[in-house]
Amino acid sequence: MSLKRIATLAVALVISVVTAFGAAQSARQTTLVIGGDWGDLITLDPGVSYEFSSTTILDNIYERLVKFDGADLSAVVPGLAESWEIAARDGGGNSITFHLRDATFSTGRPVKASDVVYSFQRPILIESPSSFLFTDVVGMDLESVVAVDDKTVRLDLPEGVNASIVLNLLTFTTGGVMDQAEVEQHYEDGDYGQGWLNDHSAGSGPYLLERWDRSSQVVLVTNPTYSDPGPITRVIMRHMPESNAQRTALESGEIDIAWDYTPEAFQAAEAAGVLKTYRTDTFQMSYLGMNSGPGAPFEDNRVRDAVRYAVDQQGIIDNLLLGLGRPMQTIVPAGLMGADTTIYYERNVAKAKELLAEAGVPNLSVEFLISTGACGGGVPCADLAAKIQSDLAEAGITATIKQTTGGELYTIYRAQAAQLVMAAWSPDYPDPDGNATPLSSFPAGSIAWRNVWDNAEAAELASEAAATVDVAARQALYAQLNHLVATEGPYSMLYQPSKPIVTSAKVLGFERSAGGDVEFDRISKLP
Amino acid sequence: MLGFLLRRLGSLVFVVWGVGLATFFISQVVPTDPAAAALGNNARPAQIAAYREKRGLDKPAWQQYLLYMQALAKGDLGKSLRTQRPILNDLKDFFPATFELTLGAMLFALLFGIPAGILAAVKQDRPLDLGVRTLALIGGATPVYWLAILALLLFHSKLGWLPGPGRLDAFLLAPPRVTGILTLDALLAGDWEVLVDALRHLLLPAAVLGAFSTALVARMVRSAMLEVLSQDFVRTAKAKGLPESTVVLKHALRNAALPVLTVLGSLLGGLLTGAVLTETIFSWPGLGSYATASATALDFPAVMGVTLIAGLAYSVINLLVDVMYAVFDPRIAYS
Amino acid sequence: MTAPRIKNKALRRFLRNPGTVVGSVLTILLVLVALLAPVIAGDPLLQNLPERLRPPSGQHLLGTDQLGRDVWARVVHGSRISLRIGLTVTGIALVLGGLVGLLAGILGGLVDEIAMRITDIFFAFPALILAMAIAGALGPSLVNLMIAVAAVSWPYYARLIRAQVLSLKALDFVDASRALGAGRWRQAMRHVLPNALTPLLVQASFDVGGAILTAAGLGFIGFGAQPPTPEWGAVVSETRSFIIEAPWASSAPAIAILLTVLAFNLLGDGLRDVLDPRGRRRG
Repeated sequence: MSLKRIATLAVALVISVVTAFGAAQSARQTTLVIGGDWGDLITLDPGVSYEFSSTTILDNIYERLVKFDGADLSAVVPGLAESWEIAARDGGGNSITFHLRDATFSTGRPVKASDVVYSFQRPILIESPSSFLFTDVVGMDLESVVAVDDKTVRLDLPEGVNASIVLNLLTFTTGGVMDQAEVEQHYEDGDYGQGWLNDHSAGSGPYLLERWDRSSQVVLVTNPTYSDPGPITRVIMRHMPESNAQRTALESGEIDIAWDYTPEAFQAAEAAGVLKTYRTDTFQMSYLGMNSGPGAPFEDNRVRDAVRYAVDQQGIIDNLLLGLGRPMQTIVPAGLMGADTTIYYERNVAKAKELLAEAGVPNLSVEFLISTGACGGGVPCADLAAKIQSDLAEAGITATIKQTTGGELYTIYRAQAAQLVMAAWSPDYPDPDGNATPLSSFPAGSIAWRNVWDNAEAAELASEAAATVDVAARQALYAQLNHLVATEGPYSMLYQPSKPIVTSAKVLGFERSAGGDVEFDRISKLP
Repeated sequence: MLGFLLRRLGSLVFVVWGVGLATFFISQVVPTDPAAAALGNNARPAQIAAYREKRGLDKPAWQQYLLYMQALAKGDLGKSLRTQRPILNDLKDFFPATFELTLGAMLFALLFGIPAGILAAVKQDRPLDLGVRTLALIGGATPVYWLAILALLLFHSKLGWLPGPGRLDAFLLAPPRVTGILTLDALLAGDWEVLVDALRHLLLPAAVLGAFSTALVARMVRSAMLEVLSQDFVRTAKAKGLPESTVVLKHALRNAALPVLTVLGSLLGGLLTGAVLTETIFSWPGLGSYATASATALDFPAVMGVTLIAGLAYSVINLLVDVMYAVFDPRIAYS
Repeated sequence: MTAPRIKNKALRRFLRNPGTVVGSVLTILLVLVALLAPVIAGDPLLQNLPERLRPPSGQHLLGTDQLGRDVWARVVHGSRISLRIGLTVTGIALVLGGLVGLLAGILGGLVDEIAMRITDIFFAFPALILAMAIAGALGPSLVNLMIAVAAVSWPYYARLIRAQVLSLKALDFVDASRALGAGRWRQAMRHVLPNALTPLLVQASFDVGGAILTAAGLGFIGFGAQPPTPEWGAVVSETRSFIIEAPWASSAPAIAILLTVLAFNLLGDGLRDVLDPRGRRRG
């Protein structure tokens, strides 16, 4: 190459760099780019995944036996199973028999009953973080799932396990079905193919995993074997931890959907009306957990009541969330069966002071554990905590904020070592039991246990409600439980957030369920 | 020369080993359990114990260290607690992005720092000099993350001249990965469109990251030039009637290059530090983001991998600088 | 007597340089602001939600942040924290590095070799990553933040003091005092320290600024002070998602960092000019 030619090329390059140069237009209409903070992503193995972002991704790759129809969570609809029946078993308990529809994995192999058995046993064998859903919540073990023939799977449930809870639970990612033959080829040091599944997929859903560039993007492409593909052939989940970055990228058309708008930005977008704004429902609850164990600061329910009176729920929702949330004070959020939206505690600082004085701790001082990052509704946790700190101070409680990363927070919380903690809870499957048992049963070893709240009545109510099949009777039990935990439990509920999502005006058919599912194949884009 | 090289290589190995040891020492004082952090929200005590055993976290510190060193000798950096992948794979993924960014920043710093320094020196104490010095001072004092936010807001949001965060437009397909350095890979694949887009994405973060270094380079060049310009041979050259530009560029600059060379090493150290913050704002999937995420998750094997590679890079660059010094400046004897 | 004359000359040199004057004025202002914080600004923690994200006005000089707190009050009170960080970190680094350097320089031999290799190791560490690892390990707090930043600053002092000791060792007057029978440590105290003071002071001045910048960087990524402490880096961080609605809230603390670091850098330049005329040209 002559010098002159090099120089010409260099000049051309500089010019193209400085002047905008449109990227391939043809790909734009069939490519969907979602900008979000996918920092919680640690695995793309459906048997191991227990994070919000991986759930959203994996539910588009791995079909479950049953699923929900878009955002409608009122009843499960057929997924891989085209029908199922529930029958009583001889030794007590129920069994559910699923009849599989004809489907093909992205690997080209047909979906067989043995794949379902494998996929259900695998999390239990791995002892994955989500395996407790199978083993602890519905009492499954390795023998529970049986392939009757190539197209029929039977799930045997122990006595006292409510089949409708099991169906709801099977909609969760852990119930995703993978191609056994494929995955088994990729075992490495007995990891059940966990490593391989982070960069490949073997599901039968509308998309397959093309690549996961860590800390950068996850790319899904249409599964060629899927019977009814959607117009979007490529979904790119771009990791953009800064909400401002998502905002500017959406405005400039670099992304189609922004996952993490702050309430301010969302309000501005709503007002401007150029972009589409969605206040999507969640079953999430932001709450304060109060250590109620012997000798702990919140052992006395009057002190817990004082906190519930002191926190300015409405102020938080109006001013920090800018309306992206609703007040809630019980453990079953709106949208689930048995929800109770009663406001048991209106803010009353004088009453809080009085209760603290009665309890003999007019000047309570506690450590207030909070996480880094954003809390429900997109509010920075630090801001929310500062607001609560100032609310509590008015009542005479000094809360010293200790902000740690999520991992460290849970280490402390799990060891029952937190005094006052700000956390969030979201049920893994849309059933009231997903909240009731963990939040009220001490023996279940979950949230009630972490806050050292050992109330036999609450635990009994929760397990009775879980086993009750009759809807009205079940609702009545939850009404009792809601009231009990709201007034005596170790929580001061903050709010039930909405998840603000903003898309470009070109995006059609976007829908996010309260459980966090987005079906990418239902989305299309205008040119 | 060979003896010098060997000695320097020995000390390089020692330094990198020391960096690893220091990180390991820090990892041992962590109060929280990395196993619990790695297993997430719902892990049960038995699972945590099993994980600790599997990863050797239950062994005494010295045993853990020996195991680590054994593996390292075989080129195995262990597995990350957070990503569950071999750390070497993670580093292979993240290092090229940071390398590209750092190189861009360095180029920016040299491209603007050297001319600014020369101009300032030639026009000593004139408005131009004052301007360069003031800018250099401000460049050295500005918090890089704030500069990054402002730059993004101005050049991307308001003016729309440059693309936003990330390395490449999402609608473009990345070229086949050869080096992981996107611009280079695009060039190798002959993909003009990707090359241009990657360069456009690189421009802003590189400029922001390079601001501090530009200030440093400008200051160094200016003072080195002043020193040289006052020396006899320059005056002689001027007296001989050579045009000022020739004198400056031919004689002075060559001699002023050496002191600039010496700061290159520390410049790189500073760039890596700055990359941590710049990458956060620009969603740049590099070593800085990786280090931050790992440190936040108390993933010390990963942090160790990062410090080792950063220490190695720093040491190698400094070694190269020393060698170049030896080549360019025969006055220095290496015995 | 020649001393006053030199002093005057030094002072003249100091005052002739506009940079140094600006630097000293800024530093004095900063110290005044920090000292008078409770007088010149209100409560940095006082929230007023209905008044959130308000632009600068007579009532709120620099506007309010996302919780309706007065940005001016937060920045002013933040100066106390930043100044404390800068001075404490530099103090620790100076003492620690000084001791190591002194030991290495005086004892020489193996001690020197080991000490210098250790400083090599610390130089090779990317500062922010080391600080992040330390702050991550110890948990985020202001004290741990200072420990972390000090851990990356001390080796400079060790090198500096060692170099001073070595160069002074070579000079005659130390030999003379050795002949007079003075112990090694007494020599060090008598001769080395006063002579090393000049470069130390210059370096320290630069380092106060550097420490503040590093600490703010750590605070920005969440390894620093706990909320709602108005540490500048943390304040920039927690207000940055509101930069479009309320640019004042994150710009004010960022500019405060800039001015503070600038002040100490200018001061360092000036001190070098005055105290070490040989190094005047480098700047």
